[in-house]
Amino acid sequence: MHDFQVWLVTTIGGNSPVASVMRTAWAWPIAESLHFLGLCLLVGAIGTFDLRLLGVAKRVPIAAMHRFIPWGLLGFAINIMTGSLFILTEPDQYIYNPSFHFKLLFMTIGGLNAATFYLTSYRPIFAVDAPPDAPRRAKVIAAISLCAWIGVITGGRLLTFYRPSICEGPQTNLLLTCTP
Amino acid sequence: MFAFPGILTLHAIGMGFAVGISAALDLRILGVAAKVPLAEMRRFLPILWAGFWLNAASGILLLIGYPTKALTNPVFYLKLTLIAVAMVLLVRISRSTFTTGTHTTPGNELSPRLRKLAIASLVCWAGAITAGRLLAYTYTRLTQLH
Repeated sequence: MHDFQVWLVTTIGGNSPVASVMRTAWAWPIAESLHFLGLCLLVGAIGTFDLRLLGVAKRVPIAAMHRFIPWGLLGFAINIMTGSLFILTEPDQYIYNPSFHFKLLFMTIGGLNAATFYLTSYRPIFAVDAPPDAPRRAKVIAAISLCAWIGVITGGRLLTFYRPSICEGPQTNLLLTCTP
Repeated sequence: MFAFPGILTLHAIGMGFAVGISAALDLRILGVAAKVPLAEMRRFLPILWAGFWLNAASGILLLIGYPTKALTNPVFYLKLTLIAVAMVLLVRISRSTFTTGTHTTPGNELSPRLRKLAIASLVCWAGAITAGRLLAYTYTRLTQLH
């Protein structure tokens, strides 16, 4: 795993034309602002849909509420793109960062959880005569979704406090990650 | 300051819910998810306000942590102004959608005034978030000693 991380960082390199653009004065802050806007779109669309499944605003048909989801996917796409820009510019700051590993883990949970929703709960929820109360399984999925995205935000926000740096001697502090 | 990362994280989560729900309401006014009864969107407002108060509290704690950093930066006052305007817009949008009942039927054409308020709300939030993010890059003094 460690060899793979070293290989990944070396391969990405951080010297691409994208990285040079990202190192100009305004590019990084602008990309970060877009990343936060994408976060709000994602929470505003997917988070409210999860809340609806959990029983908030029961008079809103779930199928009608689902029309917000494409905007959440737009936010997700914005964040994949801006996030890739960060990694392409400073690969070692992410690939070796435990907070980033947790962020990826929660993203995977969120993704698999969403796939489970569409595979198991689509039909009973989007049927014409679907009851206003979502089935228990869909509620569990919605709760996992909310937790997963909050986990993603937490992993992202804590990145800066787990930045790896070159250090000598054995690693003693959990907060400190040494770059090979 | 040990709690600083945790407070910063809460500030991001609160932002997601406050701005996210406000943006969803704005998008609904602008025609997204038109089959969602607009009046029922008010059920999400308590969560929006919870996010807002979480961010007011965490924001004050962050300010106590680094008062000089924020208070000497004009961008901080721009951020506060944009948030204030966005919240005034939210209250005005809430009043005209959730109390009068004139815009509640799905498919009803919403007044141009309400659409303008929704667009202004989205612009203010985008501005507030950008200003907030720029705080990390535009400060001149981190503490009084520097």
